[in-house]
Amino acid sequence: MSHISKVEVEIQSLEDLKAACKQLGFQFCEGQKTHTWYGTARASVSENNTETDLGKCDHAIKVPKCKYEIGIVKNGNHFSLLWDSYYTGGLEKRIGKDAGLLKQAYSVQRINREARIKGYRVVQKKLTNGIRLVLSF
Amino acid sequence: MKEIVLDISNDGEVRIETRGFKGKVCLKESQFLKDLLGKQTFQQLTPTYYVNQKQETKKYLNLCG
Repeated sequence: MSHISKVEVEIQSLEDLKAACKQLGFQFCEGQKTHTWYGTARASVSENNTETDLGKCDHAIKVPKCKYEIGIVKNGNHFSLLWDSYYTGGLEKRIGKDAGLLKQAYSVQRINREARIKGYRVVQKKLTNGIRLVLSF
Repeated sequence: MKEIVLDISNDGEVRIETRGFKGKVCLKESQFLKDLLGKQTFQQLTPTYYVNQKQETKKYLNLCG
């Protein structure tokens, strides 16, 4: 090998996020300007957002069997995921801590699509704690 | 064989490893993936990275026994 890198995922493509939602069985609600959360100042928050940010969004994601919804907010050249991680909402159980499972599905969609456009052969494999994609020429 | 391996954990963390490349070309080949996904937070170069692809090897042959 010649180098190893780690990358923090940022949501840059709504199309790939929609595809990830479809794969996970979530409903992408384009243009929905509010998302369901606990509703008061005692709620816990996600990412770098504060409680005042909760409830407002540019699009939303409905997750089956969850009371709360995920808000998608445009943030410069990418989109932030905004959700109430309070346990009664059920979101953390479905999307993982810090929305890890949603980001994983998004990354897989994005890489599969773009790498194939560039002519790479992509092989996907399930690991114990994740997914492996191998790109070859 | 040249490969780029991406491990995406259930926590959403992405680890990219390039294999079979010699020299600095591995960074160039994997850059589009880093741009696609977000921002790089860590990078480690391995010994193969420092191999000069155009390096000449000189051999001295002992002709007199």
